[in-house]
Amino acid sequence: MKRITYGAIILILVFSIGVKGKMINDKVEQKNFMRHLVPSSFENWQVTEEKFYDPQTIFDYIDGAGEVYRAYNFQLLLSRAFHGPSNLKIFVDLFDMGSGANAFGVFTHDREGEKLAIGQGAVYKGGLLSFWKGRFFVSIFAEVENQLTKNAILNLGQMIAAQIKETSPLPELIHRLPPSSLIEDKIHYFSHHLILNYHYFVADENILELNNQTEAVLAFYQFNKEKTVLLGIRYPHEKKALLAQQRFRAQYLPEVSDQREKEIAIQTENNLWTATSQKKNLLVIVFDAPSKEKAFVLINKFFHPKEKRRG
Amino acid sequence: MKKSFTRRDFLKITASVPLTHLVSRAFGNKVSPYQTSKNLPSTKVVLIRDPEALDQQKKPRDAVIQKMMDEAIMKLLDEKDPREAWQKIIKPDDIVGIKTNVWSYIPTTSAVEQAIWQRIREVGVPQSNISIDDRGVRRNPVFQKATALINARPARTHHWAGMGSCIKNYIMFTPRPSAYHGDSCADLARIWFEYNLKDKTRLNILVMLTPLFHGIGPHHYSEKYTWPYCGLIMGTDPVAVDSTGLRIIEAKRKEYFGEKRPLQPPAKHIFLAEKRHHLGVADPSRIELIKLGWLEGSLI
Repeated sequence: MKRITYGAIILILVFSIGVKGKMINDKVEQKNFMRHLVPSSFENWQVTEEKFYDPQTIFDYIDGAGEVYRAYNFQLLLSRAFHGPSNLKIFVDLFDMGSGANAFGVFTHDREGEKLAIGQGAVYKGGLLSFWKGRFFVSIFAEVENQLTKNAILNLGQMIAAQIKETSPLPELIHRLPPSSLIEDKIHYFSHHLILNYHYFVADENILELNNQTEAVLAFYQFNKEKTVLLGIRYPHEKKALLAQQRFRAQYLPEVSDQREKEIAIQTENNLWTATSQKKNLLVIVFDAPSKEKAFVLINKFFHPKEKRRG
Repeated sequence: MKKSFTRRDFLKITASVPLTHLVSRAFGNKVSPYQTSKNLPSTKVVLIRDPEALDQQKKPRDAVIQKMMDEAIMKLLDEKDPREAWQKIIKPDDIVGIKTNVWSYIPTTSAVEQAIWQRIREVGVPQSNISIDDRGVRRNPVFQKATALINARPARTHHWAGMGSCIKNYIMFTPRPSAYHGDSCADLARIWFEYNLKDKTRLNILVMLTPLFHGIGPHHYSEKYTWPYCGLIMGTDPVAVDSTGLRIIEAKRKEYFGEKRPLQPPAKHIFLAEKRHHLGVADPSRIELIKLGWLEGSLI
């Protein structure tokens, strides 16, 4: 008996060492691959500093906003500082987000700025270029914005985008958004309730039970003066979607008498309509619709999309 | 037109209170959700500005900062000499922690730190009983034994809290700062009670030399969205100090963007510091704001 126990321990130890060794090798390969995506020099700019950060160490580098990247399950961040003419500095942050969906999602967190054709979607504002391509999200930032740093940022962005060979399709949920009256810059894709509340506060508690197993899209529509909001969530299975809808109704729409109804619309205190419907593993909530009918048009189009979005 | 109060507004300010109660109370009985606030007395805040506070590289000038701080504390505590003013809040046997902020883009600045240090030394506090720290406060022996705290940090927009403020500056006293990020850092004021910081804090200084009024990107910073305001806001009430700073940041956003552009997310922790936690006064009508020095472009 003792011999069997010792044998089992030795086997577990050998297996653990093997797994750990493979993880270390994988990490080294991942780092080398990321290094290869960012040049070490270009034009008159040279790398002066390089560091890697993971989800545990990101707060050493990016203050509280590191939480955003953790909410999108980022795997590794390569940060490189470039020194250029007149002692100007540019910083590149290359995030391996683990999947194209997460890279797209984190890109949608802040879409303010001039749209550019770099990677699979890019914006530039105030000395900051952000873009996504494949499973990577890239941020290039100048401490001082002038024409010299702007040109360097855009050139470097193009170089990095060209080095990233992979591309990823947009998440399927995005294709479900009804295109009419949709504000394109206000589409956010995520799976964490912290991110939902950042863009549109629903409740302190995670009443919609968002987590790493779910994916969600938040979109804004301009029908009239007020903005209408569509929140679509895909759960791992139907039961989870049903439970989340029940919890949402109980806490957000407590005046609904029949809590078993799957389709509900309530005129709220601002005279606009909140409606919700659940079908299979999808849950849709429309907030602030001008009418009940308009709310259900959005919901039904989300359940039965006709057109596939480009991009 | 007055904006109606929605259930989202209620859910924002009433964690753990069932919505049914609120709907019936607020819409049926017309009860204001803000009535739970204690009637705190009004408080004094000093805003001082000097166009010479920064040099050509936008670095603070030590002598000007010291002068600004001296004038402000005299006015705040009704004293004619800065040393006497400091003696009102710090005793020679105090152990003093100066809680600073080391954020690389806009730190508290050594000019501000040294101006505080200098006056505390002059009160008679030995050097060994004074420490300046930010991220190491939990391990710092002076902070661990501190009987008095001076809270000094720069004003800036913040990704989770809406605004990085004096209230928020104490987040480093907690073992896990990210635990307070939920709901836009709504309950930051709780830290002041949970870690016994409220009564130890003798002075709050919101550094408004080059405030950040809009944040972008992973680092939430662009020099483009800072401006040389050249000011300091000082008070004994951190909520009043922050509330005043917030009004200036909001005014700058309106001026820059040409329209009212609310902070994303809203800096509700300041408002809730009064309404939910009773840490101090956020309501501008109960803040006596004294403006000293340069008035042009004060935005308040």
